[in-house]
Amino acid sequence: MSDRIGVYVCECGPNIADKVDIKRILTEISDLNEPPEKIIIAKKHKLLCSKEGQDFLAGEIIENELTHLVIAACSPRDHDITFMNVCKRTDLNPYLYKLVNIREHCAWIIPDKDEATEKAIQYIRAGISRVTYQSPLTEKELDSIPDVLVIGAGIAGIEASLSLAGEKRKVYLVEKTSSIGGNVTRFEKILPHQGTNLDIIQEKIKTVQENENIKVFTETEVEKAIGFFGNFEITLKNIQDEEQKKEFKVGAIVVATGFNLFNPEKIPRYGYGKIEDIYTSMEIEESNSKTGKILLKSGKPPKSAALIHCVGREEKGYCSRVCCNYMFKIAQYLKEKTPAIKITEFYQDLCLPNKADQEFYVDTKNKGVDFICFKDIAVKQKDKDKFIEYTKMDGKKEKISAEMIILAPAIEPAVGSKDIAELLNISLDETGFFQEAHQKLNPIATSIDGVFIVGSAQNPKNIPDSMMDAQAVGGKILTQLIPGVKLVPEVIISEISDAFCTGCQTCLSVCSYGAIYFDEDRNISVVNEAICRGCGNCVASCPSGAAHAKHFTSLQIYQEVLEAIR
Amino acid sequence: MKEYKPKIVCFLCKWCTSAGADLAGTSRLKYPASILPIRVMCSSRIDPMFVVKAFLNGADGVFIGGCHPGDCHYHEGNYHTRRRFAMLTKVFDTLGLDSKRLKLSWISASEGTKFAKVSNEYTEKIKSYGENPSKWNVFL
Repeated sequence: MSDRIGVYVCECGPNIADKVDIKRILTEISDLNEPPEKIIIAKKHKLLCSKEGQDFLAGEIIENELTHLVIAACSPRDHDITFMNVCKRTDLNPYLYKLVNIREHCAWIIPDKDEATEKAIQYIRAGISRVTYQSPLTEKELDSIPDVLVIGAGIAGIEASLSLAGEKRKVYLVEKTSSIGGNVTRFEKILPHQGTNLDIIQEKIKTVQENENIKVFTETEVEKAIGFFGNFEITLKNIQDEEQKKEFKVGAIVVATGFNLFNPEKIPRYGYGKIEDIYTSMEIEESNSKTGKILLKSGKPPKSAALIHCVGREEKGYCSRVCCNYMFKIAQYLKEKTPAIKITEFYQDLCLPNKADQEFYVDTKNKGVDFICFKDIAVKQKDKDKFIEYTKMDGKKEKISAEMIILAPAIEPAVGSKDIAELLNISLDETGFFQEAHQKLNPIATSIDGVFIVGSAQNPKNIPDSMMDAQAVGGKILTQLIPGVKLVPEVIISEISDAFCTGCQTCLSVCSYGAIYFDEDRNISVVNEAICRGCGNCVASCPSGAAHAKHFTSLQIYQEVLEAIR
Repeated sequence: MKEYKPKIVCFLCKWCTSAGADLAGTSRLKYPASILPIRVMCSSRIDPMFVVKAFLNGADGVFIGGCHPGDCHYHEGNYHTRRRFAMLTKVFDTLGLDSKRLKLSWISASEGTKFAKVSNEYTEKIKSYGENPSKWNVFL
């Protein structure tokens, strides 16, 4: 059968029409006509992306019985999908179409009309050459499972579970420790209005426990998670009794493993663990929360306290974001209990990111708390007295004494993050927190479709930020994993030819997604179609030419290149 | 005499450099018609053979554009590109081809200006070298 190639040039209003000679393009492209093998139909249109333009295209495809379609218009980023959808309205496979960008790559960058026209022709010829080597691809549909696994039952995990669980969606909430609620249950009060945490967190815990669509597993870990977005096979194991396992399937996974505090013993100059009456912020919170008191080891309330921020900040290489605010809170606890107490807060940088923070800082200052910005700091003991020796920003060295010292250690990723990352095939970044798909544009997704990160698992976060993440993940999953709706996985992916594969496994080592597995029986590498994202790295690395990138085959690229430079 | 217009094949990754090239266009920046962009999903798709083949079949220069290290849409693809490029440069020198005519540049989706600048400078450089002497002379 002969190729019937339709080439349609879009005027894009004046954008293309004024900058290139469309008439000349159509004449030269029509000259490529080689009947009966290759029939080229070249036409122009005012605006192909308009409804009228799309109808025109669909009509042309049907009327001319086109086997291939080339559109010379804008960037594929603008209208690739538009024109693929036009193909879908007809019998033409959308992968037998090619969009040639003569607007951004010709019309808009080349002032000389002749030159722009020549490049456009060259470029369209390359497109025609490529399109005839393209193959039809079929989008497959896969059943999806609407249920979700949430790892970690802190405030982020709890909120994520609540926003996801519903009549047609079960949530499996897995917690390593023996109770749910996480770090928040250890605080006495929650910023910014200093209400007690119990009202908020206990109510959430109760709602989770009462929700019949949420199954809570405490003292449990995830042992295995294999699969892809819409269909992960999960195995849980009980930490106390490893034989006790539970298997089920979910469509998505939410990682809400939270944080741990940096151990200040690792920096000896703070004296933690060696000198009496030096506490971490969490120890103070717990004491206050359980007994309502903050006392020295002697049982007396302190007459003076030094609060040191930024413990481990330089060592970890990041600001933990939440400490400044809770240190103001601790200062206020102490002031409420002993109004005459002398409090000094030492900080390297103040971090006041939220709208209520500045006011809280000023309020704390107004209550008589001193703030000192330090360059260096160390805690020293002489007989029974403790001193803070510090260098101020101007280089002056000073010291003060304090009965109680409270440290704000850096927020660290939760213990076991590395194991979870390996289990789910996602990455940790250089700070040890889970790596997001994009720091700015996609902060709760990961490199693996269907695996999300929320709360402090991604970055040190306060409660409202964690809640935001948890509610956002609800949105992400609810819109993508709709009960009964099938998933359409990416079709532009790699495939490995059984006959050519020598089993060297080079492709396995370059794949960022673990999308290729080795079939021991057949001694060949195999692509898991549901996981592959189609980058083509394995194809470029394959020494035996067994790997192919669908829609970006070597032959297709060669044809495009050779025609472009002819 | 007609001005010598080099032919430069540009392999651009879909996510960063290709988008940067689009931005150069929407910003109405100017760069020579010599630049012929070929879009691939990731710079790591670029088999060194593509470059060799383009070089022997009429290209005066080959330019590979990818996301900045650490920003690859596919996480580590561009690191592989970087290694392959280093290897390719060596192979070029070994074969007696001109490795100065190869270029690798990291250009993000927001760097339209950088794309235009690199395109202009690189075209000037290739122009100063003159026509690629290896084209049509070696068959592979």
